[in-house]
Amino acid sequence: MATARIEVMLCTGTGCVAGGAFRLKEVLEAELAKHGLREEVSVIPTGCNGFCGQGPLMVAMPEKIFYGWLKPESIPYLVEEHLLKGRPVKKLMFTPPEKKEPIPLLSEIPFFKKQRLLVLRNKGIIDPERIDDYIARDGYTALEKVLTSMHPEEIIEEIIASGLRGRGGAGFPTGIKWKVCRNEQKTPKYIICNCDEGDPGAFMDRSVFESDPHSVIEGQTIAAYAIGASHGYIYVRTEYPLAIKRMQLAIQQAREYGLLGENILDSGFSFNLEIREGSGAFVCGEETSLIHSIEGKSPEPRQRPPFPAQVGIWGCPTVINNVETLATVPVIINRGAEWFSKIGTATSKGTKIFSLVGKINNTGLIEVPMGITLREIIYEIGGGIPNNRKFKAVQTGGPSGGCIPASLMDLPIDYESLTQAGSMMGSGGMIVMDEDTCMVDVAKFFLQFTNDESCGKCTTCREGSEALLEVLTRITNGEGREGDIEFLEELGQAIKDASMCGLGTTLPNPVLSTIRYFRDEYEAHLTYKRCPAKACKNLMAFWIDPALCQACLICKRECPAESIYGEKNIIHVIDQTKCTKCGTCFDVCPPRFNAIKKISGEPIPVVERGIPVERKKKAPVPV
Amino acid sequence: MKNEPEKKQKIGSALVVGGGIGGMQASLDLAEAGIKVYLVDSKPSIGGVMSQLDKTFPTNDCAMCTIAPRLVSIGRHKDISVLTLSEVEKIEGEPGNFIATVRCRARFVDEDRCTGCGTCVANCPVRFIPQPLDGYADVQLSPETKTLVDNIIAEHRFRQGPLMPILQSINVAFNYFPEDVMKYVSRQLEIPLTSILRVASFYNAFSLKPRGKHIINVCMGTTCYVRGGERLMDRFGELLNVKPEETTPDMLFTLKSVRCIGCCGLAPAVMIGEAVYGKLAVKDIQGIIKKYRGNGHAPHDH
Repeated sequence: MATARIEVMLCTGTGCVAGGAFRLKEVLEAELAKHGLREEVSVIPTGCNGFCGQGPLMVAMPEKIFYGWLKPESIPYLVEEHLLKGRPVKKLMFTPPEKKEPIPLLSEIPFFKKQRLLVLRNKGIIDPERIDDYIARDGYTALEKVLTSMHPEEIIEEIIASGLRGRGGAGFPTGIKWKVCRNEQKTPKYIICNCDEGDPGAFMDRSVFESDPHSVIEGQTIAAYAIGASHGYIYVRTEYPLAIKRMQLAIQQAREYGLLGENILDSGFSFNLEIREGSGAFVCGEETSLIHSIEGKSPEPRQRPPFPAQVGIWGCPTVINNVETLATVPVIINRGAEWFSKIGTATSKGTKIFSLVGKINNTGLIEVPMGITLREIIYEIGGGIPNNRKFKAVQTGGPSGGCIPASLMDLPIDYESLTQAGSMMGSGGMIVMDEDTCMVDVAKFFLQFTNDESCGKCTTCREGSEALLEVLTRITNGEGREGDIEFLEELGQAIKDASMCGLGTTLPNPVLSTIRYFRDEYEAHLTYKRCPAKACKNLMAFWIDPALCQACLICKRECPAESIYGEKNIIHVIDQTKCTKCGTCFDVCPPRFNAIKKISGEPIPVVERGIPVERKKKAPVPV
Repeated sequence: MKNEPEKKQKIGSALVVGGGIGGMQASLDLAEAGIKVYLVDSKPSIGGVMSQLDKTFPTNDCAMCTIAPRLVSIGRHKDISVLTLSEVEKIEGEPGNFIATVRCRARFVDEDRCTGCGTCVANCPVRFIPQPLDGYADVQLSPETKTLVDNIIAEHRFRQGPLMPILQSINVAFNYFPEDVMKYVSRQLEIPLTSILRVASFYNAFSLKPRGKHIINVCMGTTCYVRGGERLMDRFGELLNVKPEETTPDMLFTLKSVRCIGCCGLAPAVMIGEAVYGKLAVKDIQGIIKKYRGNGHAPHDH
């Protein structure tokens, strides 16, 4: 492999691909050829870099200079300046919103600075489609170590000692799960990697598949050796075509290298891996449901015990681990349980990947040590809330989790603290909400989700979610009744108590946690028919402030409902009978005018049509 | 069912034919009034059509919640005898005073001892016993379709758990599940059609109705939702004149909502086929639809 003077790490995760990363690659390669730099500069497509909010992006090695928001037009200049003349281009670097001076180095950017990369150790550094890249970064050394020098029992002891807990959400100790399975008499045994990442707002599993698929294969093979399995499945959502493609390629390469298949590394241990796709059912992330799905049965969960580690797929002992859990295993084997258990809090060890999304400046994927506070994540890594809005809450754990209010900002994040706060770790989605997000509406959103995805087996879940949704819809429509909040609480508790699987027992969490922390918002909807966030369509309206409108016609042109009356120099007025409240006018009104206002809980000011704009004369420019 | 000809008095016990929800309620009411009831049903079990329904018109009540307590009460009631797999052959006499002859077909199971545990079903080596009323015993596929489906089946049938991969391949090939193909697969795999449909109707990615050439998946994940995904959905619906889950009459587009495509950094996002469009605003949508309408192919440079 020839070494290049500069290696350009171009992110080709799903986010950046959607932003046109492959088009950039073409342009980049054409430009390089034009300058005769093809030998000196190599373009390496990597997996997700993590800083998705800046995509499409690239990092120029060896200095690690970060360029974001790239467009094909800016490539020729970039190639000429940086890659040819060695002068990094300032205007394409990352500049924090409140600062003027850009930060050139990736390691200096606050988004990356506070992170601690174990699972994502190779993200953005290797080409996920080349196994040699992974091996060059100490890949498969952990597998070699266990196969040549460790007894399966030793591996399990090591994992137990490390304190690793399942990263799928519930946080069951991984080593214990393996031990239970190993101690079962029945054979064959199976190991399943759960990549049915259904929680909306979470995409860490996809990212691991897209940026470093071999780390999962290595972890799963080690797990298979530890429990005594010879066959494994990777269950992945069909919504992730790129992840599936990269994983298939990785499995094929690992086979060719003798790292999967018969007699791995001449140790006598054989292990085969097979990909199974889901088809868009949230409940399939539940382990018994997942098993039924692979078996080709109707994917409804079943009662536990017996746990899958005792009676799993095809009736055989089966370990089901999350992607992140498996990708952590090689790190623990290589660096030792003692080293690993020093990271994190007393009960939660290691790091956790979160997807930091929603109303936040630095959107993306972060890996942080357990025990970090929300404040550090949101303000230091995330760079705060855009447009100077106020932070209101962060939603963790997807539809099973809850909303954590601003008052708990200093909460150290681990499994226990999140559960105590009425939420849960979940798979690691972290959705930031600002003052424009209505908490009742958010609760309604999650109930719509769970009501849709409930498999229908348990009455409390099937009918209960429906009833909760009905009441929430009523409240957001301004038709709430007295006693609705108490009803929601009572029914929520009943659903928690009486449902069987994880979906049912956690589905009331979004409702219960928002009532717990934002009861005043529920009451505003009920009593004053007012949505404090001005988000519930039936309780709000748009109007144009005549004092601010400059009659620029932009909103009139863009309004899909043609509900805006106005002409040049005549103040615009929204016809409330035609307005569909789509919010387009609010988005397009130039920020310097800021004339479109939202209103809730009070009468809409009536503005007469045909008033001409009063324009202030510009102050004469001194000569 | 004693006969006392001199008095035209309603005497003896009552016969209820058909064990649907009506028959069950009638039996319970009669038995509560102190009358011995014989409940006859030709099916192996009582419950009727309602036991197959999720909701009932017009109140949308949960069907299972309605029939389950009645099933239990009937099973326990000392004055109700349930005769399943049975048919009334003849009735002699007059209203209120008659003798009925009921033929009970053999069940080959001792009903007094069976607990309904289902172990026999799971362990029977004959996997698929075609019911005489199937009506799809000889479903005909066109030669091309047959070859296509046969190839798909041949590719996967010897894997453990072949159903899902086969359904996924059929979904890719046809974009939905044609009824005849499902029946054919049922015959070939020796899996009852009901079991296949139960799986097929469970997943969001499958459809039993024909779908458009381009499937527009509007992401309704949390991030896209708080960033206005619903407004995109409304706009698509408005421009295409369809509701979510519907297909345009020209079979070009199907509008769907999807639960998170994992592109939260690009919220709000839409996935059309395998192409992802991110950071969309309501005003961009017309242009996107136009691109796909233009030549009927997916545009490459988005």
